[in-house]
Amino acid sequence: MIAYQPIVLDPDKPLGNYIVVYDARTRDQRVRERKKTGGGAVTSFVIYLIEKNIVDAVVVARRKKGLVGEIVVARSAEEILSTVGNRWSVVPYTLKLREILSSSNIRRVVFVGLPCQAQFLKQMKMFPLMESDFSSKIYLIISLFCMGTYAIEGFIDYMKRTYSIKAEDIVDIHVAGDKLVVKHSSGVLEIPISETLYYLQHGCLTCPDYTGVFSDLSAGMSSKPGYTLLIVRNKLVDKLLHEAETHGYLELEEASTESIEYVINKSREKMRKAYEYLSHIL
Amino acid sequence: MSKPGLLLLDLGGCEGCSLSIIRVLPQLSRIVEVYSRYTGNLDLKQKYDYAVLTGPICLNSGDHIEMLKKIREQTNTLLAYGSCASVGGIILYARGGQEPRPEHRVYAPLSRIVKIDYAVPGCPPAPQMLITLLNHIKQGRGFFLDLFKAVASIHKLSGFDLMDEVVLPGLCVGCGACVLSCPTQALHVIDNHPDLIPEKCIRCGTCTVRCPRFSQILIRRYLRTSIQQNIMGGSR
Repeated sequence: MIAYQPIVLDPDKPLGNYIVVYDARTRDQRVRERKKTGGGAVTSFVIYLIEKNIVDAVVVARRKKGLVGEIVVARSAEEILSTVGNRWSVVPYTLKLREILSSSNIRRVVFVGLPCQAQFLKQMKMFPLMESDFSSKIYLIISLFCMGTYAIEGFIDYMKRTYSIKAEDIVDIHVAGDKLVVKHSSGVLEIPISETLYYLQHGCLTCPDYTGVFSDLSAGMSSKPGYTLLIVRNKLVDKLLHEAETHGYLELEEASTESIEYVINKSREKMRKAYEYLSHIL
Repeated sequence: MSKPGLLLLDLGGCEGCSLSIIRVLPQLSRIVEVYSRYTGNLDLKQKYDYAVLTGPICLNSGDHIEMLKKIREQTNTLLAYGSCASVGGIILYARGGQEPRPEHRVYAPLSRIVKIDYAVPGCPPAPQMLITLLNHIKQGRGFFLDLFKAVASIHKLSGFDLMDEVVLPGLCVGCGACVLSCPTQALHVIDNHPDLIPEKCIRCGTCTVRCPRFSQILIRRYLRTSIQQNIMGGSR
């Protein structure tokens, strides 16, 4: 069977091609204790895939120090749990990853990344331009919703100058409505997102993809509090999700019209901004 | 229904692309009727649905240029396969007088001479690439097909373009796609962004089509110029 080629540029299909959308949340106690935002459904789902030996490894980013991240090839539930939380920067996939993945004891891998990473992983899987593309090993691509990432050096400097918060003191950052909520060692700070727009990476301003139309499963914050919105793009993922539900890892319910409308609006907004910006640089 | 005919022809170069195609020849024969040197039925006189051309065109060789033009006339869908055919590749560095092919000095991607429908970079593209590509061309449009069409409309792509168009103007978000795709490891990550080692870049163009930013830019530019050409074409 030929996999369908996504069309990222179509404003009529802001979510790309999908078969079903769920609101989901975890039922796994380990994830509940650790989770920071959303419903923890992605974490539970990949833990299910690892624990039932459906995949050998999960490639995911983890916060290392300050706001700097690193790529982890996680092979156990504990390793996955250590990566729980939001990402604030794109973490480069490097040659080290290729070395790890070319080892013979890893046969099936799940990638959790951002829409841009989903795009090239899909290309590697569908149209391998190189034999070293480990295309046969890419089992699933999970993309997290992304409104853009910060140029972290500038952002850290801004936090330090304006609010006297050092990167090391930041415990957690998440988005609530149009506010950026920064938890730090001596309190909580709320900044309007519009104030931080200058510190977005310029490349992100040209990216029209909010949900990750190239992925197999897109996930992100739902408008329903405490839930993760899951956009399922193929039957395999749907089957796996239902199995995970049967095994008690997570609970699924079909997303309401409001939840879908919410993410459609976000996607349209990003697309509109991207095309406006792209027209300046073409 | 009979299978569509496909011409396989190597115009020169290192034969890496040919070897890559030969490895999928059995699967290829299931979806198309292959005409080539390897299957012993090469015939440049008949009409084809597809032609897959590998290797660059030598601008000093009139015979080859005439042959290429004739193939274009006789073929519905022309594919420039591999880096030399699609974007120039390492053979752009040919100066003439070099071993092992000392006769000629000016090589170019095929799109300099004729209109190419799909250009696929890769040095060489992985064997299964050709099968997927043909299946998708049959199926119709899609993001990646548009991308390969866009590559066919330009004459050069390399790590240098990646640096000029994405990294240096600050559009790079540091996803690492280019570093993972470079066959010669000419790209490496410094402070979360790629940097090019010029001596190592063989101008294969793989990094540029892998880059999420650059591929978007390529497609947008291609769509824009093709719309303009359609409008202009009507008044000519």
